[in-house]
Amino acid sequence: MKHEKIETHAGLLIVLTLIVISVGGLVEILPLYFIDETIEEVKVSGKETVRPYTPLELLGRDLYQREGCYTCHSQMIRPFRDEKLRYGHYSLAAESKYDHPFQWGSKRTGPDLARVGKKYSNEWHVQHLIAPRSVVKESIMPNYGWLIETPLEFKDISDRLRALKLVGVPYSETEAEYEANVERFGEEVAKQLEIINAEDNLIEQAVTNNYDGITAEITEMEAMVAYLQVLGTMVDFKQFDDGYFATFR
Amino acid sequence: MSETNVQPYNYGIIRLFTIMAIVWGVLGMFAGVYIALELTWPIFNLDTPAITFGRLRPVHTTLVIFGFGGSALFATSYYVVQRTCQVRLSSDVMANITFWGWQTSIALAVISYMAGFTQAREYAEMVWPIDILIAVTWVTYFIVFVHTLARRTQPHIYVANWFFVAFILATAILHIFNNMEVPISLFSLKSYSLHAGVQDAMTQWWYGHNAVGFFLTAAFLGMMYYFVPKQAGRPVYSYRLSIIHFWALVFLYMWVGAHHLHWTALPDWTSTLAATFSILLLLPSWGGMINGIMTLSGAWDKLRSDPVIRFLIVALSFYGMSTFEGPLMSLKSVNALSHYTDWTIGHVHSGALGWVAMVTFGSFYHLIPRLWETKMYSDRLIFLHFWLATIGIVLYISAMWVAGVGQGLMLRAFDEYGNLAYTFIETVEFLKNPYAIRALGGAFFLIGIVIMAYNVFMTIRQSRIERVALEAKIAAKLAKA
Amino acid sequence: MFEWLNWFTDMQNTKPLALVLFFTCFVGIIAYVYLGKKRSKRFEEYRFIPLEDEADRNQEN
Repeated sequence: MKHEKIETHAGLLIVLTLIVISVGGLVEILPLYFIDETIEEVKVSGKETVRPYTPLELLGRDLYQREGCYTCHSQMIRPFRDEKLRYGHYSLAAESKYDHPFQWGSKRTGPDLARVGKKYSNEWHVQHLIAPRSVVKESIMPNYGWLIETPLEFKDISDRLRALKLVGVPYSETEAEYEANVERFGEEVAKQLEIINAEDNLIEQAVTNNYDGITAEITEMEAMVAYLQVLGTMVDFKQFDDGYFATFR
Repeated sequence: MSETNVQPYNYGIIRLFTIMAIVWGVLGMFAGVYIALELTWPIFNLDTPAITFGRLRPVHTTLVIFGFGGSALFATSYYVVQRTCQVRLSSDVMANITFWGWQTSIALAVISYMAGFTQAREYAEMVWPIDILIAVTWVTYFIVFVHTLARRTQPHIYVANWFFVAFILATAILHIFNNMEVPISLFSLKSYSLHAGVQDAMTQWWYGHNAVGFFLTAAFLGMMYYFVPKQAGRPVYSYRLSIIHFWALVFLYMWVGAHHLHWTALPDWTSTLAATFSILLLLPSWGGMINGIMTLSGAWDKLRSDPVIRFLIVALSFYGMSTFEGPLMSLKSVNALSHYTDWTIGHVHSGALGWVAMVTFGSFYHLIPRLWETKMYSDRLIFLHFWLATIGIVLYISAMWVAGVGQGLMLRAFDEYGNLAYTFIETVEFLKNPYAIRALGGAFFLIGIVIMAYNVFMTIRQSRIERVALEAKIAAKLAKA
Repeated sequence: MFEWLNWFTDMQNTKPLALVLFFTCFVGIIAYVYLGKKRSKRFEEYRFIPLEDEADRNQEN
């Protein structure tokens, strides 16, 4: 075959180019779905501790995306000494296995948030989101005052869970799925994953924890803080031997 | 004209895309300067949701990459394919569809980001209906382009068109696979991505880096392979080198995306593979740069007199620089410092401003007089644009090197007791001055493109006046006769 | 007799195999492009395509 053939036949040029550009992607992406070590197994007494988000946390996560938080905050701690001291244990692949889409980020204009959960009080988060410079004088984060002024829209929460179920997140619709979740995550978590009770679960979590400090209504702040407070809290590293997670690397 | 049955080229569509490229360029670079100010003085966020940094940053990236860069590529690829194949675009209707489809997508994307609708995937933030519109537009583009190639009167397909073909194909694949998602209902803009976590990250950066590789590099190399020889009046240095350049670049680029995920939860084998290919990529990148620069050599005297050549030579130099910096940053040890810092932002802009924007400006200054059949309104304004742009880039990149390397070093510094030497917020304080200088550099660049817009506007006006005068002359002659 | 084929089935060997394949391919392209005087001459003629488009048709208005 002459190279001239390629040059003179547009179709051949297209086919060859397609083959050449496909190789790299296929080799690097496909195996990630099939190699078992890609995602760590995180089980404590037989139950998986990394779980899908509760309805309230999920809406908080969606707000996190709406505001473009990922443009300044990463959620991926690297295995370095300074990052361990600053943020905690390096992030596991398992910790974002239910993240559609992932929010690892690419830039730290602000600090990493992968393990920000439970580090600060709810009140601190509310104050910090409304007026960051009132808590951290040198901060360059925008004020997010509207989060506490806007009621949380949650009418479509079951649609959201159903869409996530479709892409593989184990929210349950049938009795069998619920039982499977009990087996996998324990009863308490399994109840939170029932699509039929999504709205009730959301209200209950908001009322019980009152993340935003306002009892009269459920605001967007409620969801946002609920999400921030769960980040990085699903794996209790004390339960695992040193080096256990290194075996997956 | 000797052959009367030959159709004229379709320049109308090229004019439209050229104008929109400049319009989006001005808006996108304005958004860029504005968010740079927000990072320096957060008061610029004005407590208004639509213009906070988080929502405006995708507005900036979308406008400059897809609005400015994309429209410029449509314009130049339609110009190059017609002239090197010596045939008119295969379908005016389809070409118009690509214009309106593309412009509508950009406009809708910007409005939706500001309203808070996003997929939260970098450089692919458009919500699902816009993704579909883009896919339809892109397939139409592919058909127009390939059909035009097929109808060519020249036996050989010139190498610039190969790059355009690879760009169109790769962008289609990337766009489709990276935007696989499930809407929560047919009446909602919200959707969830098909992939999750580590696979999602890999897919996204396979997309993200190849948006750089094929959209911002391969396609602009297509531009380079036509406009550099044209402006210099000399053929490309080595055609054989361009063949090697093409296949090597197209093959290697697709492997390197994972270098954006060094030291993350992505398996080590993947990121090591990506780093290796990133180093290899230096070779074809420099092959292309050398081919471009050697084409210009011998025309060095034109550097003094021809501002367009200046844009092109600076563009090639920045291409060479950033394709050297890129592999360097993809080394895991360097990446440990540079990742998450402004060094990356600086690197992106040395490519985006230095290479993409400069080669576009140069090509446009060559293209516009030919599209409107006149001369540029002012050569001095082109020189002014050149200097503003160059100074702007230098300020921008230096500020980001200081910011990135400085912050990286501060974050990993320990005191004598083994404690962290700096808190995170101390590094934020440190960034204030570099950020201000970055905004200044951006402002220089913005003023440059505004001057270009003015120059182009006056050129088009001048062309109208000239045409009216010519028509009057002909009418007068006819009246006499 | 065909035991040597087993080498190809081992996942560990995909890396050198791929390396050899791609590198041969690359060297092949280089050799193809640069060896052969006639071919070289033909390729280098294509350089002039962009410069030959000046004497072209009028544009539509």
